[in-house]
Amino acid sequence: MTRAIRWAGVVACLAALIGPASFASAQTYPDKPVRLVLPYAPGGIVDFIGRTLGQRLSEELGQPFVAENKPGAGGILGTDVVAQAAPDGYTLLLMDPAIIINPTLQENVPYDFKKDLKVVSVISSSPLVLVTSPALPAKTFAEFLAYAKANPGKLNYGSAGIGTTPHLAGELFSARAGAKAMHIPYRGIAAAFPDMMANKVQFAFSSITGAKPFTNDNRVRALATTGTKPSSAYPDLPTVAAAGLEGFDVDLWLAVFVPAATPEPIVAKLNKAVAAAIADAKTVEAFAKVGVEPRGTTPAEGNAIVAAEFEKWRKVIKDGGIKQP
Amino acid sequence: MDLWSNLALGLSVAASPENFVFCLLGCLLGTLVGVLPGIGPVTTVAMLLPLTFSFDPVSGLIMLAGIYYGAQYGGSTTAILVNMPGEASSVVTAIDGHRLAQQGRAGAALGIAAIGSFIAGCVATVLIALAAPALGAVALQFGPAEYFSLMVCGLVAAVVLAHGSVMKALAMVVLGLLLGLVGTDVNSGVRRFTLGYPQLAEGIDFVALSMGIYGIAEIARNLEGRDETRAVRTRIGSIWPTRRDLVFCLPAIFRGTVLGSILGVLPGGGALLAAFAAYTVEKKIARPPRHFGEGDLRGVAAPESANNAGAQTSFVPMLTLGLPSNPTMAMMIGALMIHGITPGPSVIRDKPEMFWGLIASMWVGNLMLVVLNLPLVGIWVKLLQVPYRFLFPSILVFCCIGAFAVNGREFDVYVLAVMTVVGYLCAKLDCEPAPLILGFVLSPIMEENFRRAMLISRGDPSVLISEPLSLAFLLAALALLFVLVLPAVRVKREQALQE
Repeated sequence: MTRAIRWAGVVACLAALIGPASFASAQTYPDKPVRLVLPYAPGGIVDFIGRTLGQRLSEELGQPFVAENKPGAGGILGTDVVAQAAPDGYTLLLMDPAIIINPTLQENVPYDFKKDLKVVSVISSSPLVLVTSPALPAKTFAEFLAYAKANPGKLNYGSAGIGTTPHLAGELFSARAGAKAMHIPYRGIAAAFPDMMANKVQFAFSSITGAKPFTNDNRVRALATTGTKPSSAYPDLPTVAAAGLEGFDVDLWLAVFVPAATPEPIVAKLNKAVAAAIADAKTVEAFAKVGVEPRGTTPAEGNAIVAAEFEKWRKVIKDGGIKQP
Repeated sequence: MDLWSNLALGLSVAASPENFVFCLLGCLLGTLVGVLPGIGPVTTVAMLLPLTFSFDPVSGLIMLAGIYYGAQYGGSTTAILVNMPGEASSVVTAIDGHRLAQQGRAGAALGIAAIGSFIAGCVATVLIALAAPALGAVALQFGPAEYFSLMVCGLVAAVVLAHGSVMKALAMVVLGLLLGLVGTDVNSGVRRFTLGYPQLAEGIDFVALSMGIYGIAEIARNLEGRDETRAVRTRIGSIWPTRRDLVFCLPAIFRGTVLGSILGVLPGGGALLAAFAAYTVEKKIARPPRHFGEGDLRGVAAPESANNAGAQTSFVPMLTLGLPSNPTMAMMIGALMIHGITPGPSVIRDKPEMFWGLIASMWVGNLMLVVLNLPLVGIWVKLLQVPYRFLFPSILVFCCIGAFAVNGREFDVYVLAVMTVVGYLCAKLDCEPAPLILGFVLSPIMEENFRRAMLISRGDPSVLISEPLSLAFLLAALALLFVLVLPAVRVKREQALQE
C-alpha cells in the first residue's frame, strides 16, 4: 500500500518533470490564454503592432493572446521575462532590433538571444526615412551626400536615443559616407523635429510615423528611405542604397520570439498562425497606417535574419566607438 | 465672424448625440482613472486606442481627449481628500487642498477645484479658438537653451516662493534633482545611481515616488497624532463653497488660467510648471496672503485652473504642429495617424470639423465634468467620515496596487516603501515635499536640454545668453533670486544697526 503510494508519487513527479514538454503537444496547443510580452510602454509601434497581432492570433487559434506591456531598461526587462519563461508556447515576445543591439551596447544584459530565444517569424519591415532641415541647400540625396562630405564635423543628427535604430543608422551613414556628424540624442524622435526645423539639427533618420506630420507640408525635407526597395509610405523617394550608398540597409523589423526550448511543432503552428494573421487584409491595412509592411518568414529564415542583423550592428557599434564605457 | 462660425461648426459636431455620448464616456472614464492611483490617462488611452479604430476619428478623439482632461479632475480629488496626488500636476493642489480637508472644508475645496477648472476650461477653449496658430508658434521658439533656462527659472521660483525655510526648500529641490537623475543617461547610455537594479534603468517611477512621499507618509504622520486631532478632520463643514468663497477665488482662477494656457503649450513639464507657477504667483500677489500653505482656497483654485487650462492648450502644438507635449499627446498623434490624419498646420484647413469639433467638445466636456463632479463632492466628502482604522489600510492597499499597476512589477512597491520613509523624514524635518517633486520631474528635462545645447554649440556655454528668450528666462531667475536675497539683506542690516 505505502509502496504503491510511493510509486505513484514518483510517477507523478516524473510526469510533472517531463510534463511541460510532452503534454504541450501541438494538437491541443493552445488550450489556455497565451501571453504576448511587449517590452515597451503603451503607445509606441511595438505596442500597437503587438495589440493588433494579438487580436488576430486570438481569432486564428481560438485562445486569447493577451498583449502585456513589460517596459524597462530599453526592452531588456521584458525580453528577459520571455527568455526565462517556460518553453511551452504560452509566452511569446514581440521585439524590434533592440533585442540584438542591447547585448552589444550594454554590459550585463541578462539574456543571450542566441541561446535563450528563437524566432517564430519576422513579421514586419519598416524602413526609416532620411529627413533634413529645410535650411540646407541640398534638395536630393546626392546633393546631401556631397554637402555632408564637404562639411565634416559640422552637421548634427538627431536620434530617438542612444543605441536606437535612428542613432545607428546615422552612425552607419557617417561611416559609409565618410562624413563625421555629431549625434544629438532625444527622448523619442518626435522631439528632434522642432530643432530640425530651426536648423539646430541638420538631419535625422526617423521612423515613418515620426516623420510624416513634418514631411507632408515640407517643414522638414524627406530625401530617401533606408530599405532595399522604395517604401509604400514614400513611393516617390529613392532608397539610400539606390541613390548613392550601395548596400545601405536599415530596417526597423519586428519579430515574434519564443524561449529557445519551445518544441518545434508548436513553433510551426505559431508560425502558420502568424503568417495567416499578417496576410489578413485588415492587418495589412492597420500596419500600413503606421508605415509598417508585413513580412513573414519561416523560423529558420527569421533566425538567420536576426543573426545577420546582430553582426551588422555589432560592427557599426564597434567601429563607431559607441559602446558605453 | 470667423471665430463664431468656426465655434458653431465645432459645437454642431460636438453636440451630435453620438459624439455627446463619447464625450461623456471619456469624461467618466477619465475621472475614474484620475481617482484611482496608478492607472493614469496614458495607460487608459493606450488600452482604448485600438477600440477607437472602428469609430469616426472625431468621436474617437473626443473620447480620448475626455479621458485626458477628466483625469486632471479626478487626480485633484484624491490630492485634496487623502493627500495622494495621482498626477504630477495635482501635487500643488494637495498643499492647501488637503489642509482644507483636514479643517473640514473638503467640500469647498473640491467645489472650487471643479468650478475653477470649468472656468479655466471655458477660457482656454476660446483662447485656443482665437490663437491656436500663434500659440503653436510659441512652442517652436523653444530650443534646448530656452528650455534649460525656463527650467532654471522654474526651480528658482520654487525655492524663492516656498514657504518656510529657504535652505530647506533649496535642499529639497536639489534632492529632487538628484532623484530625477537616477536612470540611463540619455547621451551615453550609462546607468547612473541604479545600485545595480535594472528596474531603475528608466528612473524612479513618478507614481511610486509621489504616493510614498505624500500619501503614505501622511498616513504615518496622522497615526502618531492623538485621537482628537484626527477627529477634527472628520468634521464636515459646508459641502459647497459659498458665494463669498467664489468671489474670493475668482481673481486666482483667472490668473491661473492665463498662466496655465501659456505654459501648457510647452512640451515637457508644461502643465506641472503651470500649476506650480500659478500657485507661487498667487502666493506672492494675493491679498491677504496669510493663509497660504495652511488651507487657502485660492491655493486650490489657482493651480487647478492652471493645470486644466494647460491640459487643454497642450492640444494646440499637437494638432497644429504635430508636436506632442506629453506622452498622452504622443499617443493622440498615433491615434490620428492610424485614422489617416496627419497632424500639422494643414489640419485646421483640411479637417475643420475635426479641429473645431474637438475644441468645442472640450467645452462640452468641461460642462459635463462640473455636472458630474459637483454632486459627487457630497459623496467624496462622506468618504472622510469613514473611520480611520478602515480608511488608512484602504489607502495603503490602493497605493500599493497603484504603484504595482503602473509597470506591473513589484519593484515599484519597494520604491514606494523607500519613498514613504523619505516622505516621513521630510515631514518630521519640516521640509515641504513640493519642491522635491518639481525638481524630480524637471531634472531629466533640464539636464537633457542643457547637454543638448552644449552638444549643438560644441561646448560653448555662451549660447545660453546669446539666445534672447533664454537670456530673458535667466534674467527672470536672477531677479527672483534678488527678491529672495533682498529682505534677508535688509533684516541683517537692521540687526547690525541694532547692535
